Amino acid sequence: MPAKRKRHKGFFGTVALPVSRNYLNPRSHRFLFGMGMLGGLLLLAYAAADFFYFQTGHFLSNGPLSSAHAVHERQCDSCHTEWNSVPSDNCASCHEDVSDELGLYSFDNHYLYRSGDFNRVVPSENEMPCATCHPEHQGRDAALVDVPDQRCTSCHPYESFSSGHPAFEAVGKPDDTSLTFAHVSHVTEMMAERDLQHLEQACIQCHQLDDDGRYFKPLNFEEHCDSCHLTTSVATPRLPIASADRLGVLTLADIQAGNVPGSLWSYYTNPNEFRQVGNRFVSKSPLHHRDPWILANLRRLRKQVYPEGGLADLLTTGVEVPPHEQEALYREAIQTLEGYAEELRSRPEQEIQDDLDEIHMLLNWIRHDLDDPFVPLDETSFLLALDRPTDALDSQTIEEIHEIANDLAEPCLGCHQMKKLTIQRVQKDQRTMRRAEFNHRSHIIQRGCLDCHDKFGPDAFAHIKEMREPLEDQVFHDGAEIQNLPDIESCRDCHSPKAASNTCITCHQFHPSPSGRTHLVGKPKRGFHER
Amino acid sequence: MCLGLLVANSFLDEIGPYTLWGMGYGIAATTLLVAVFLYALRRRSARIVSRLSLGRARSWLYFHIYGGALFLLLLLMHTGFRFPTGILARLMWFLSLWTVLTGLAGLALQRWIPRALASGLSIEVLYDRVPDLIEEIRRKAEALAATCAEPIQTFYAKNMAHTLEGPDRRWIYYLDITGGVQARLRRFDYLRDFLSTEDQSKLGELQRLYKTKLEIDAHYTLQRLLRTWLYAHVPAAVMLLALVALHIFTVFYY
Repeated sequence: MPAKRKRHKGFFGTVALPVSRNYLNPRSHRFLFGMGMLGGLLLLAYAAADFFYFQTGHFLSNGPLSSAHAVHERQCDSCHTEWNSVPSDNCASCHEDVSDELGLYSFDNHYLYRSGDFNRVVPSENEMPCATCHPEHQGRDAALVDVPDQRCTSCHPYESFSSGHPAFEAVGKPDDTSLTFAHVSHVTEMMAERDLQHLEQACIQCHQLDDDGRYFKPLNFEEHCDSCHLTTSVATPRLPIASADRLGVLTLADIQAGNVPGSLWSYYTNPNEFRQVGNRFVSKSPLHHRDPWILANLRRLRKQVYPEGGLADLLTTGVEVPPHEQEALYREAIQTLEGYAEELRSRPEQEIQDDLDEIHMLLNWIRHDLDDPFVPLDETSFLLALDRPTDALDSQTIEEIHEIANDLAEPCLGCHQMKKLTIQRVQKDQRTMRRAEFNHRSHIIQRGCLDCHDKFGPDAFAHIKEMREPLEDQVFHDGAEIQNLPDIESCRDCHSPKAASNTCITCHQFHPSPSGRTHLVGKPKRGFHER
Repeated sequence: MCLGLLVANSFLDEIGPYTLWGMGYGIAATTLLVAVFLYALRRRSARIVSRLSLGRARSWLYFHIYGGALFLLLLLMHTGFRFPTGILARLMWFLSLWTVLTGLAGLALQRWIPRALASGLSIEVLYDRVPDLIEEIRRKAEALAATCAEPIQTFYAKNMAHTLEGPDRRWIYYLDITGGVQARLRRFDYLRDFLSTEDQSKLGELQRLYKTKLEIDAHYTLQRLLRTWLYAHVPAAVMLLALVALHIFTVFYY
């Protein structure tokens, strides 16, 4: 007997097909998930095998390392620390030999680098690891130093170089060369004398590129000025000789008799260079650059007016320097003191020798402090400013001393400037843009000097070109006091999004470069905040 | 909102995986990927979902679709719209793209196929019932043919029997849902003129059975595509989840 069939629920369609007797559950997708899980497990197994067995790390790596780090391709732990990403110490273990004790890659140094402004140093709470700006695994050809502008503009509120970048700080400001110098007349004479055809040829007579072509070799009197200036015919005016009741200068004999520290030079100076009129007046010819007789008398006159000169008493020139050059002042002062001490070495007294030993030790200690990157320069009280003249002298006497000093330094003041009875220090290195890098050599190929440095006025050099005659009425219209720097628009002519590179790192560096570490003023590294 | 973030990001920071912005995009993309994946689990937990009033299937589907598309955008923002360099990262990038593109393809199929099936066919069938229904048609047709005259039996054996053996997939249905049906039915008309009135009636019944079978084939062809598409979408999505988990582990570990 046939099995009893279930009754149909109904029919549908033109051919009366039976409606399903049961509810049809949707087909399970378990197989699909199973396929996916199997594939995922295979991939995970491959990753594990690659990491633990083959030990290549290729599968998990975010990409090939840059060429410079390619040697670490299979050594993840060279840079990575488990559960701690890439600590900066791991980078410093190679880049600073062992570790970055000096904090060269710290924000502290970034704030100080070039600016030298201690006020800008802030606690390094926001210190970022190297990998934040220099992400690796971008491929062999990736350049880790190509940090995008956004990294910089997240702190520096400038949109870009093309828009929002502030004007160059040095443009329009008087420079600190402290030289009285007229470019137009010098160029005119030089072109005539050396038969130069192009103005730029005159520029490079003095502004000679340094070895790497970025900046210029320091200006040097003996090399650049000596052929025309301080010739044998140059002499000081007739100067009053100082006595008990008269203001004036000391003669060579007086200096030798005084035997004060720093007067050793007087024994090696030719007495015939002095013309003495009785005991009242003296003059000197020829003169030398940094003439010791002039500088010694100038220092003595300054001491009369500013008895508390402090460091200034140990320097031949002024103490007003940019922060990044302060260290040089200290080193010069130490050198002067060492010279004084050496002059006393010939003395037979044991007490003096003992004192000299102690002085020698102290000077070494100071030099050691200067070399020590953990000692901030501004914490020492070594430097005293020439604040105000002494109250012991009346204003008329001070005026007289200034007149004598002006006469004494008259040959110097043709070029140099004097302030508070001190010849001002000359900025020899010709660096004006401290915060940016500039390569003159790479630019000079495309543009002439005057295309950018065009601040002497449109007529001045045109006149030189045509007439080659000094422009007496324009001689003082230009000078070293004019920075003659191109403004930012001049740079933007070429450096724009559609032309030459205009990223932040085109001109600026975040870290002190190996060659630029001397610019670290005071060098207060990690220890700075702990002191 | 994402595009607004992207514009703000482009002004404030680099667009890439290593910045805080990039990591934020990555976290958002992962969260979205997991949330989108819940749609698949919803089917398996339909009762719980219904009991907890966690939304209608339609809402879940929309979230799956738009969330998936947004995931791809966040992924591209995470990678800085660049092709990654690492093997794992490239695999994830490919799988993400593949999963989203197959998802979009599936969406297109789900929009097109039901409309196509409803537009030119006179019958609606469930994919899972297709073999049973064809078997029913074959059974009916065979029984009917056995009662017919010899020409009809010959015609059945020659032109119908092999067609009724089981479901057939034909490419023409992708282009035209009624494609070829009328031409194949015309063969019945040639025979009809030579038959008696009674046999003509039986032939008409056979013709209806045959037409229904062809329409079921159309259903079978297109509905099968709807199911096959999942093989391209789901395993890749599961593998992507596994790789994302591995990626997150390596990010924290390294």
